[in-house]
Amino acid sequence: MMDYEFKMKTSNERTKVEDLFEFEGCKVGRGTYGHVYKAKRKDSTEKDGSVKDYALKQIEGTGLSMSACREIALLRELKHPNVINLIRVFLSHNDRKVWLLFDFAEHDLWHIIKFHRAAKANKKPLMVAKGMVKSLLYQILDGIHYLHSNWVLHRDLKPANILVMGEGNERGRVKIADMGFARLFNAPLKPLADLDPVVVTFWYRAPELLLGARHYTKAIDIWAIGCIFAELLTSEPIFHCRQEDIKTSNPYHHDQLDRIFNVMGFPLEKEWEDIRKMPEHPTLIKDFKKSNYTNCSLIKYMDRHKIKQESKAFHLLQKLLLMDPTRRITSEQAMQDPYFMEDPLPNSDVFAGCPIPYPKREFLTDDDQDDKSDANKRQNQAANVSLTYSFYLRH
Amino acid sequence: MAGNFWQSSHYQQWLLDKQDLVRERQHDLQILSEEEYQKLFIFFSNFIQILGEHLKLRQQVIATATVYFKRFYARNSLKCICPLLLAPTCVGLASKVEEFGVISNTRLISTCSTVVKNKFSYAYPSDFPYRTNNILECEFYLLENLDCCLIVYQPYRPLIQLIQDIGNDEQLFSLAWRVVNDSLRTDVCLLYPPYQIAIACLEIACVILGKDHKNWFAELSVDIEKIQEITRYIISLFELWKTYDEKKDIQALLAKMPRPKQSPSR
Repeated sequence: MMDYEFKMKTSNERTKVEDLFEFEGCKVGRGTYGHVYKAKRKDSTEKDGSVKDYALKQIEGTGLSMSACREIALLRELKHPNVINLIRVFLSHNDRKVWLLFDFAEHDLWHIIKFHRAAKANKKPLMVAKGMVKSLLYQILDGIHYLHSNWVLHRDLKPANILVMGEGNERGRVKIADMGFARLFNAPLKPLADLDPVVVTFWYRAPELLLGARHYTKAIDIWAIGCIFAELLTSEPIFHCRQEDIKTSNPYHHDQLDRIFNVMGFPLEKEWEDIRKMPEHPTLIKDFKKSNYTNCSLIKYMDRHKIKQESKAFHLLQKLLLMDPTRRITSEQAMQDPYFMEDPLPNSDVFAGCPIPYPKREFLTDDDQDDKSDANKRQNQAANVSLTYSFYLRH
Repeated sequence: MAGNFWQSSHYQQWLLDKQDLVRERQHDLQILSEEEYQKLFIFFSNFIQILGEHLKLRQQVIATATVYFKRFYARNSLKCICPLLLAPTCVGLASKVEEFGVISNTRLISTCSTVVKNKFSYAYPSDFPYRTNNILECEFYLLENLDCCLIVYQPYRPLIQLIQDIGNDEQLFSLAWRVVNDSLRTDVCLLYPPYQIAIACLEIACVILGKDHKNWFAELSVDIEKIQEITRYIISLFELWKTYDEKKDIQALLAKMPRPKQSPSR
């Protein structure tokens, strides 16, 4: 089957991740995807003498799942300043673990938005700076345009997947992470309840998905970008929805649709002609009454959050959040939008040279790992998050 | 990953040159003649094709598996991993990458057993010998030796575009498609970009069907010499096929093939 000398030779030539990197006790994240560690080279210095941080991701499970294969296959080919760069893959033959090495990104939009929300809760509101939102959105669109022009769909865009580089030569640059890996909805690697609340969410799912669309499209990514844009403008998830009753196998999600209609209004036939062709359209007709949403519109929702309908930001948002996927703007068109032509212009450092107010990533402690006593803690965590959100959504 | 061939790992790392191949194969070519070596690869390409068809895979997935297989042995001797193990491993990996869906290893192995028994008993009189853990182990070695380059560009897509341009001709298309499949039994997928292979296959199909598209070919801005080289590889495959009886010869060839040693040699 396999040659002894061949095995010995390759095993001697193979570099082990733990020989090259120090990362013990440095876990900074975990989720469906696996565990992420902040790592440093053991031979310490880079070419210029500085100490550089890396992100080491240990893929969930053992061996090569389809999502691991897709991730490696795609990242091996992709190269764009706003898409996370895979530096190297380590295959650990003994325990059949797969490790991916990336540049370390100190921030992400989930933490950045959380920071602003906390500031608001303490009555010291610190809105995301206008220039920063624009720079973030522009770079997200740039990265997604690159992915889309290579026929890679992200399929799971949300604030936690939008990384932002900290101090260093790529300061304030957006890096899109976790793209393109069909994380099968009806066959998650771990029970959804076991995971951080940040990982599992319907808030960024396009209405056509919730109505049973069978295929992911570019327009689905664009909807998610619209959601993220709105959240950056207001510090609140625009389509926030209770999540306790997540049912994994069915794409149709009543509460999430209700939430979308509460913000956007119920879609008129002339606004979305093909809605009748959606697999879950009959359920929609049965479950929803148009008249319940007559007073709802994106204009009113954003106006409550002090974003005026005349602003260029609002105009662009409206084009990203069109219910009819066929009418939704493309990433390329969005990048040409007048919003980006008006001052302040988008910046390659989203912090525009200003001090970065956001805290660095914290290490997760060991008892935060997989053991079962942890499930309770996680639920509390989830409950806390929901509480914070509902607090804001009351007014 | 369409439309970006020139930035791909396929273009940057995996278009090899003839000299490289000759050098890497030196070990095996001390034991086998070039023709014997080629016959073995024809055999295993057929095996991958038939295994893929039994698993109802699309041709794109089968072609990708075949390219993985050829890339591995372009860098390693046949003795490093038994090709009868590497072949299904390539099929399993390709189906995951091409998002065909995961084929369970149990199904992969049982299909291998069926295929070996029903279609290849002339080569392997005994049962298919490998199990799930063999495939799993082999998969890591395969990925490592591919340097994690898993996206492979195939001639099928450029062929479809060429056919549309030449004027839809179903007969020509289906023959050219089959010639592309045949080309997987040669080294061209290791040596030339897929669009050149597509052009060569289309040209061969035109010649076979006696269709004159000379003017159309003349207008393509393409390195004619490369196309001719590809054509020669495929024509010589056809020549080989005319005189070669695989059923009769393959057992002797497999016996002669360099094989793994499972314990250290002294």
